[in-house]
Amino acid sequence: MEKKTIRNELLNEEYYEINHKSGLKIFIMEKPDYTGSFAMFGTKYGSVDTCFRLKGEKEYTKVPEGIAHFLEHKLFESEDLDAFQRFEKTGANANAFTSFDKTCYIFQCSDNLNESLEILLDFVKHPYFTEATVQKEQGIIGQEIKMYQDSPDWQVLFNLLRGLYVNNPVRIDIAGTVESIAQINADLLYSCYNTFYNLSNMALAVVGNVTVNQVLAIADKVLTAEDPVEFEQIIPDEPEKAANDYIEETMTVDIPKFALGFKETIKTPVRSAKEIVCMNIALDIIAGKTSPLYNSLIANGLINPTFGSEYFIGRGFASPMFSGESKQPEKVKDAILKSIGFFKQNGVSDDDFSVSRKRLYGLALRSFNDVEDIAGNIVDSYFNGSDLFEEIESYKAVTKEDIEETIRTHFDADKMCLSVIK
Amino acid sequence: MKNEKICKGVNLFSHKTDKFKTAVISLTVSAPLDSNAGMNALIIRLLARTNKKYPTMLEMNRYLASLYGASISPIIKKSGDIQLLTLCLNVIDDRFTLDGESVSKAGIELLCSCLFEPDVTLSGFDEENVEREKRLLIEKIESDRDDKRVYSLNQMLHNMCDGEAYGLNEYGEIDEIKKITPKQLFEQWKTLILTCPVTVSIVGSSADTAKSVIKPYFERFEKQELCELRTEFITHADEVRTVVEKQPVKQGKLVIGLRAGMTYDMDNFAAIRLMTAIFGGGTFSKLFSNVREKMSLCYYCTARLVSSKGIITIESGVETENMEKALSAIRNELEDMRKGNFSDEVIESAKLSLCDSLNSVGDSNSSILSWFLSSITNGEFKTPQEIAGMIKNVSREEIILAANMVTEDTVFMLESEKEVE
Repeated sequence: MEKKTIRNELLNEEYYEINHKSGLKIFIMEKPDYTGSFAMFGTKYGSVDTCFRLKGEKEYTKVPEGIAHFLEHKLFESEDLDAFQRFEKTGANANAFTSFDKTCYIFQCSDNLNESLEILLDFVKHPYFTEATVQKEQGIIGQEIKMYQDSPDWQVLFNLLRGLYVNNPVRIDIAGTVESIAQINADLLYSCYNTFYNLSNMALAVVGNVTVNQVLAIADKVLTAEDPVEFEQIIPDEPEKAANDYIEETMTVDIPKFALGFKETIKTPVRSAKEIVCMNIALDIIAGKTSPLYNSLIANGLINPTFGSEYFIGRGFASPMFSGESKQPEKVKDAILKSIGFFKQNGVSDDDFSVSRKRLYGLALRSFNDVEDIAGNIVDSYFNGSDLFEEIESYKAVTKEDIEETIRTHFDADKMCLSVIK
Repeated sequence: MKNEKICKGVNLFSHKTDKFKTAVISLTVSAPLDSNAGMNALIIRLLARTNKKYPTMLEMNRYLASLYGASISPIIKKSGDIQLLTLCLNVIDDRFTLDGESVSKAGIELLCSCLFEPDVTLSGFDEENVEREKRLLIEKIESDRDDKRVYSLNQMLHNMCDGEAYGLNEYGEIDEIKKITPKQLFEQWKTLILTCPVTVSIVGSSADTAKSVIKPYFERFEKQELCELRTEFITHADEVRTVVEKQPVKQGKLVIGLRAGMTYDMDNFAAIRLMTAIFGGGTFSKLFSNVREKMSLCYYCTARLVSSKGIITIESGVETENMEKALSAIRNELEDMRKGNFSDEVIESAKLSLCDSLNSVGDSNSSILSWFLSSITNGEFKTPQEIAGMIKNVSREEIILAANMVTEDTVFMLESEKEVE
């Protein structure tokens, strides 16, 4: 078995990357001064994976929107005790989530790690779906969907995605719609499972009061070797321009919400650690708390501390975004564009660059406190072809010129959309 | 975890550890929750934004950035009939600065100067800053109203605790906030500093430095007479009050308030905590396994004990047409608890789950801080392990007894308005 140590001197942290004989990538960070541990078992499969075929198959399968999330709910079930009932015997706090490009099963525990880890690996690898249990879930997920439909923060984001993207499946709701999940049946669930839940498409990370041998013993016991499954996906063509430049919905809110995004044309599906760091610094210089823009918008009554920016990225999409609450979102948009224009023309000052870099490095450091964050970031970085430390190291390496280049090339006014809920 | 008194009216919770990359240090002023709530909330938010040395937000934010993205955040909470006003510093540990410089001491000094050395003159706080902060606080209240889950819970509490301090919004009321003047704020700041108890919480490797920086500030502003802080506990509801509101929402919200039969925050705490968990506190609970899994009525249905006030809240998101069905299902489950209709396995599951979470509180600096904050109003400080020990010892009979002490007080329903065709 191949075992690689990934170490970072600055943080004085290290973890192991192991190619398990079953075909699964396993990551372990031993933290003996912690009481508890966090485990994440994830697959590179999310709501954007809507059209695929196994290698050798003739036809592509187009699946209903929201099926990855539906599958996540259903995997907890089995012929006898469901996974939640099994975790009840260990005391672990188990859960799962589906995002645009991955599905992860997780637990946190301070005791009985071996038993909980065995349950985690076992239930995710043993699907059991019947028409009756599928039907029951439609009621529960139907309510989950409606809950999000009432959330203005959620709606303002998805409206923006539909405003930016024409064909990219990032524009569909992660949980689908009440209508789309009504088309889901056991056969479709098995078809998705058999394509995307192959161990070669998955990763396991365990961080905390744990040892390598402990995890490997459980993996040896539960996992059987699998030949990698190969599949193909149809990536729809996406025009360069945004679908709309403005999108508005009324939801009887006391204070309007807005989100402003810029669609990027990307040549590779995922962003590198350096690209992410450059964009984070660029966004902080343009609109962070130390920027003249942020402070003048606050002083002029146009934003409040909910205002923020993020680099919204995942497999197959990338878009810098600004969002918050404002009684005059159009004016905020104009001010942001003006500020971007200023930096495009004048470049970035040494002082702005060093202040933002220092601030963001300090904020990034916070994500190394909790076992939960570390495990999540290990899986994310692996799925993106990077490692846990590459991002924080990049803060040392990037230059002012890198940031100027980022600002010049990633914010095009004709690839922009403003979404407003009022 | 350590708990000590550092001078009159000032209590210190500390946990010295080099486990984390950042330190969390906070100062919490405890004030009676009353008609000054809006003014107090405004003050703590103002103090977190500027001070005498950094009188504008831009100057303050640039200084914080130079301390590797240190932050000072205002946290406003109610704990029973007490308003907790916290300034919370998050700063990186000196071991991880890029050029070997020290920043944590500067961060702690800044935190203290925010509380004790605000940007004031004899006529009060700076008028422009006050006007800005009034707008921001009003928008925070509006924003909370836009989150239907938060809104529904607040409406339930407002109705249930009508006439009790706990029924007040911890951020105050919009109409009253509008009237507040800079001079009034200055007077109220002095009252807070001189008469309200303060709790200092420190988590990190620099615990000793923090204590030595913080202590002299409190000695300089020695408290004379401390204000009285007490919470009214109503142990029993005589009848159920039902409040229905309609809004154009896709999903209805059902929130129920129960009186837990407690006379103070640690009264029969372990039994009631465990009973609440079995009833609606996890995937093993009766509400999850029946109302969600068997009946397929909702995505969430949970019960939570608010021990600082002796009440239990139940929250669920359901279709308006299923509201009554969900309500009676929840009532049936509570009746089952009273009759002892739950298995020994579920008791074990609830104990395991609660103790497992309690035992890992020390793994996160924010959980430790929350633990300290939730201990402020307790008469006696207990560690998570001590509470876990108490929970392990609860018997089936004590759980049933606890369930029989519970009475239903208020039902709040937010229903979907029929759309006009």
